[in-house]
Amino acid sequence: MKFTYLGQGGLRLSFAPPNYLLVMKWTLILSLAFCFQVTAKVHSQDLTLKINGQQLTEVFAAIEDQTDISFVYSDEMIRQAKPVHINLSKVSLEEALPMVFAQQPFTYQLVDQYVVIKAKPSAEREEIAISGTVKSQNGELLPGATVRLKGGSKGTVTDIDGKFTLSMLPDDAVLVVSYIGYDSQEIALGSKSEVVIILNPSDNSLSEIVVIGYGQQERKQVSSAIADFKPTEENFRQVQGPDQLIQGRMAGVYVGAGGGTPGSDIRVSIRGIGSLSGQNEPLYVVDGIPLVNHNAALFDLGEGMNPLAELNPNDIESIEVLKDAASAAIYGSRATNGVVIITTKSGKEGKSSFNIQSNIGVQYLPNVNKLKMADSDLYLEVLNEARFNYNEQNGYQPGDGNFVNYQENPYPGYPETDWLDIVTRNALVSNVNMSFSSGTKKTKLYLSGGYLNQQGVMESNEYKKYNTKVNITHQATSWLEVGTNTNLSFSRNNRIPNGNYGSAIMLRSMGQRPFDRPFKPNGEYYVGGTEELLYHNNVQILNEQNTKLDNYRMLGNVHADIRFSPSFHLKNTFGMDAIYTEDYLYYTDKHPYGAGQGRLLDERRMMTNGLIENTLYFDHTFGKLTINALAGHSFQKVTTSVNSIDGRGFPSPSFDVLSVASEIASASSGFGQNSLESYYSRANLSYADKYMLSLSIRADGSSKFSPEKRYGSFPSISAGWNISDEPFWSLSRTDLKFRASYGATGNQDGIGSYAYQALMSGGANYDGNSGLSISTFGNPELTWETAKQFDIGVDLGMFAGKLHLTADYFIKNTENLLYNMPIHATSGFSSVTSNIGSMQNRGLELMIAYQHRFGELEWQSDFNISFIDNELTSLLGDEPLLIGANRTLQVGEEVGSFYMYKMLGIFQSDEEVPQLLFDQGVRAGDVHYEDVNNDGIINVDDRQIIGTSNPDYYGGWSNTFKYKNFDLSAFLTYSQGSEIYATWRITTDRLGIGAQGFREEVALDRWTGPGTSNEVPRAYHGSGYNLNNSSRFLEDASFVRLRTLSLGYTLPKAFLSKLQMSHLRFFVQGENLYLFSKYSGVDPEVSKNYDARFMGDDNMNLPQPRTIRVGLNATF
Amino acid sequence: MKFNISIILIMALIIASSCSNQLDLYPRSAVSSDAELTEEDASSFLIGVYQSVQNDPGRESYILADLLGGDMNSASSTNGGGTNAFISNIMRPEHSYVNSSWKGYYEALYQVNTLLTSLLTLPNNSEMNKNRGVSHYFRAFIYTSLVTKFGGVPILKENSLERMPRNTVEEVYAFIEEDLQIAIDLAPEFSGDLGGDFNSVSSDAAKALLARVKLLQGKKMEAATLAEELIAAPYFQLDSFEKIFRREGNSEIIFAFVNLTMESNINLSTLFYTYAHPQSGSYVFKPNPWAMQMFSPEDVRGPISVDTYEGLDVVNKYPSGQTGTDQLNVSRLAELYLISAEGQGLAGLPRLNELRAARGLEPVSAGNEDQFLDLLLEERRRELFGEGFRWMDLVRTDKAIDQIGIQDRETLMPIPETELLLNKNLVQNPGY
Repeated sequence: MKFTYLGQGGLRLSFAPPNYLLVMKWTLILSLAFCFQVTAKVHSQDLTLKINGQQLTEVFAAIEDQTDISFVYSDEMIRQAKPVHINLSKVSLEEALPMVFAQQPFTYQLVDQYVVIKAKPSAEREEIAISGTVKSQNGELLPGATVRLKGGSKGTVTDIDGKFTLSMLPDDAVLVVSYIGYDSQEIALGSKSEVVIILNPSDNSLSEIVVIGYGQQERKQVSSAIADFKPTEENFRQVQGPDQLIQGRMAGVYVGAGGGTPGSDIRVSIRGIGSLSGQNEPLYVVDGIPLVNHNAALFDLGEGMNPLAELNPNDIESIEVLKDAASAAIYGSRATNGVVIITTKSGKEGKSSFNIQSNIGVQYLPNVNKLKMADSDLYLEVLNEARFNYNEQNGYQPGDGNFVNYQENPYPGYPETDWLDIVTRNALVSNVNMSFSSGTKKTKLYLSGGYLNQQGVMESNEYKKYNTKVNITHQATSWLEVGTNTNLSFSRNNRIPNGNYGSAIMLRSMGQRPFDRPFKPNGEYYVGGTEELLYHNNVQILNEQNTKLDNYRMLGNVHADIRFSPSFHLKNTFGMDAIYTEDYLYYTDKHPYGAGQGRLLDERRMMTNGLIENTLYFDHTFGKLTINALAGHSFQKVTTSVNSIDGRGFPSPSFDVLSVASEIASASSGFGQNSLESYYSRANLSYADKYMLSLSIRADGSSKFSPEKRYGSFPSISAGWNISDEPFWSLSRTDLKFRASYGATGNQDGIGSYAYQALMSGGANYDGNSGLSISTFGNPELTWETAKQFDIGVDLGMFAGKLHLTADYFIKNTENLLYNMPIHATSGFSSVTSNIGSMQNRGLELMIAYQHRFGELEWQSDFNISFIDNELTSLLGDEPLLIGANRTLQVGEEVGSFYMYKMLGIFQSDEEVPQLLFDQGVRAGDVHYEDVNNDGIINVDDRQIIGTSNPDYYGGWSNTFKYKNFDLSAFLTYSQGSEIYATWRITTDRLGIGAQGFREEVALDRWTGPGTSNEVPRAYHGSGYNLNNSSRFLEDASFVRLRTLSLGYTLPKAFLSKLQMSHLRFFVQGENLYLFSKYSGVDPEVSKNYDARFMGDDNMNLPQPRTIRVGLNATF
Repeated sequence: MKFNISIILIMALIIASSCSNQLDLYPRSAVSSDAELTEEDASSFLIGVYQSVQNDPGRESYILADLLGGDMNSASSTNGGGTNAFISNIMRPEHSYVNSSWKGYYEALYQVNTLLTSLLTLPNNSEMNKNRGVSHYFRAFIYTSLVTKFGGVPILKENSLERMPRNTVEEVYAFIEEDLQIAIDLAPEFSGDLGGDFNSVSSDAAKALLARVKLLQGKKMEAATLAEELIAAPYFQLDSFEKIFRREGNSEIIFAFVNLTMESNINLSTLFYTYAHPQSGSYVFKPNPWAMQMFSPEDVRGPISVDTYEGLDVVNKYPSGQTGTDQLNVSRLAELYLISAEGQGLAGLPRLNELRAARGLEPVSAGNEDQFLDLLLEERRRELFGEGFRWMDLVRTDKAIDQIGIQDRETLMPIPETELLLNKNLVQNPGY
């Protein structure tokens, strides 16, 4: 038998639809092939073929000649055959056939003595080619989107213009197009050869990828409480540090405002107050490196500086907050206050783009009208009234030693000074960022550079920052990936004295007498603290000092990732956060602190935080069970070296290095280190994407504890159930997941590096001799503070993802609270670091996201609210501790409770005044404090807990509207139910106690006789009775703030393509545009102290400025 | 092959990075204090005791008796007005001066008692005995400072974590006298051992302090006898104010803390000068007008004690300015002249006039004991202005309430509020 010829007859049946014929024909061949398959056997004849450019059929003939084989094929198919070049000698048929067919568009099957020619499996049907473009809803081209054939392996990614081509697709092909942040879309091609695919932004947050400690997870698989924020053009706030980006964005995450000076500290607290010591700062993990909380400044100028401000917010890809124990426990002993994971940007495959962002704006101090001071006439009226009251009450006559003279205006007719106005300004802010991103299959690259110049609203205050970043990953071999991610920054901060500092500009701009002036007629300064000027001359302070805080920072890592098998890989990371700080403070001889000769303080610090980490990952799917597991070891060491020199005596202000100083008043250096060794492991199990179980544990050993107490283990467990994936779930457009978790985390922050050791220190010198003294008790019993947290949560998606709701309830019990516990002084020390008690936080967190389209108008709304309660549940000895001037720690009460006298009103007549108080000089018009123990006298025993600095609830609400190329977003933050202690009012509301100026409002409202006031006392010289720490100065700190309002316009694509640009958006953005608050001060969010115990105390740290800026964002 | 090598390398890296031995870290400026002190340590520790007693109580504790004595005032007051309000403000249980004095003295006591306890196990050689003597002096100095401010305070013969109740004033004085007797016996001699170094504690310093303690208890004759012993010592002479208060060599000081800038935070100067003054300070306190007027023009102490600059009155005894520190006198011969005079009563008038003569003043005479005491107290007021005596002098002679116009309770400072809360065995002074 030669060859069998089958093809012609079929084509002649022209009445049948072609497809039908084709199906019939191939069914025949395949069933033939199938039938014979079982009898296939080895053909051992040797073949020799020398064919050069001949037709395939001739090859078939040659083979048939040499063997007993026959070829079966159709004419139609054989017409596609390509000429053959082949040169074989003495090979078997089985070896020869693959070579013969190698260049052919079809394949074969050997069935007994027949070789059946057939189409390649993927080309079972007629093949077509397609080209297309992938865009977002608003027309933005999406490079790097994945396009793949549904049910097949064929696929590609879009290029820089969002375009792709695919060929040889079956004619009923369905393409699946996906892009991060957008919903996947399926497109049936039909007969189209070109398509435009428009992706909708992902409204199904369950499909997004969430960064978790040491890995990532699909949102749907997450069984713990993790909040995330991904900056976009619309929601991006022009801030200095990444921590400010998440303000108001997440439930359970409180981000305080920070002061109005650029680079200043802010408070971030996750799920309330976690500890008593330290600032309760969460652990920040930037690109896998756990950072060390520290003050970026070395000199105390009244406020701390935020080290996170040295990073570039524009480089941030996402910020995840691990809130519950289950998610945070992988960071073990540092995770009690939550973990903030900051991931910086990286290059994307197939995407090569260049982006420029630039903006410029102006800042100023809002609401200054609240601080209007009494003018000279009113000032003198009240001041002299106070002196009259004093002289009269005590019966002092002119000439008596104790008689207080009356004051007259020394400069009648001259203009008065607005002390605040002369040092504030409209400050310029500008910001430029450039980034380049590119990637191939093997190498991904992201480069960026940024520059920020932010002037403060106070003269001479300025912050400049330069950032660069390199992020490269490279697939070196099939099993090895290497990479580096390096952030470099330099920042220079020309600081101003703030807060409680003696020369604090804001506070020194209040309380001066209205007629005083900064300059004498001869141009010299009036000097504060004299008869001529009460407080420091704020102009002099700013002009005669030079401050410079320089921070150089290298934060980065190199890593190697070795893949042993598809399931196993090992990641080695070496990370380093190295910060060199130079803090420089120069007072000229004219500065009040210049000691009349010039003074220079020069302090430097080198801080290194090194990390070596090895993590072995195992990822595998067994049927429906997916396991993602890891185990690792890490060692981290923090070394701090400081030196400090104080030099005095400079010949002129132009000499400002220490080699010129005539005297070195002090010089010192110091060194400290601590280290942490850890073992950690986690297993995430998921069955059918419905049932999730996650187990993790970390064991940490810290050098801060004695060898016996050194190691702590922090396990956790969490489980999740995607109930809406169950067969019985009938609501098709609703997703529902339940989550529950329990675990332990630890804390060792806020205690000294050597706290467990009793130490005898050097440096106790006398008369030039070197001496020793006992510097600490030591506490070998010191051990980890541990928080055990239970969390239950639900994620609900409704209306096919239009509405999302996430709710969590948690109970967190912290034990062994670390604290520098005050002890009775006869012990020889005022405090000893101890594990003193326990505390509970309970909270409910709610996030609601809703989006809707009204025709071309798109509305996205995100709302979150958190209710968190705190309670101290035990204290060593259960005795209340008095802390600070007006706080207490008491069992059953909140940390941050205010403890002070309660003002009941004003005594309206002398008869109301108890005798003992009357004897002390209290009269009608003075404050009536509550006499708690009814002993007729007001003393420390009469203080009580009034209010707290913790809000009842707080959160944020953002709304974004998009219409055609316009976008408008408004972002509100709010807080309700906390109190703030207006310490500054003790300076501005003195009403003649000393000679200080006072606020107009208070002067006008003062008590001048029965019934005139029940809030503001009388003017009275000398006595501080009315200024006692009391509810008089405690105010409601609730507020709603219009945090940002921004309007953007994105230029149409058609126009941009002419400019060779892919994206261009202009925007105008306002920050802090409006504040709704009953607070009498400028800003209820500002605090002089960010310690959890002392929050909510306003002593005129510079309030947050208002900022208006315009900017653009362009991508090429 | 490449693959295997890399695995070995990685394993080696992991093993190398396993670093649990690196968790034992120690500070470089301190050593563990668990070990017993050696003799050499004890001498270094004594230096530390000097430093602690000098610094720990805080700068205001050196001048509290001046602040409470009516001659000083808040710098922001006008023409001396509101002096009593100023005093009452300090005399509050929550005031930081009250608190830091109490704490500071007990902190210093801890170091002293640590040394005294260690010395119990060290040999009785002359070096260690001198250490013992000086330590006992400092303990007596601390308790003298405490008892005159707070009345009866807890006596700690050795360090204890117990919450101690208060002892009586008499018990405290007895304890002080006991300590001073040991100090007189064991401390180095001023001229012999110390070579006249008045910045170190001598047995003469102990004697001077004992004379003060006797007078404080009204043991006038004993006080006068001790004072006379020192007046008779050839190496002590009244000397010029210029030298005493400008860090110059002099023959008058018996003991003064050296208070070097590098070693100290006791900067009194900055409390007294204005920012505009060449010495530039933060002008917290100022002399009242009547204190300015107590120096007659021929009194050589006047210009050194007070000054007026651009219309503002300042204390001028601590002139190093805003950023420097000045010597802190504890005992000087003039005080012993005054103790002797007061102890002898009218018979001590010559001693008083000797001192007056040395300060450029004419002699005075007194008709009776009361007149004499008034003259003497006025002289103490001028001589010891700004050195921490005035309020104590008026309190011990029962003149405080009349002369300053303070309230009854203000003859003792209150026990700090935080201490009352931390130690329930403490009882507050009456009236607070």
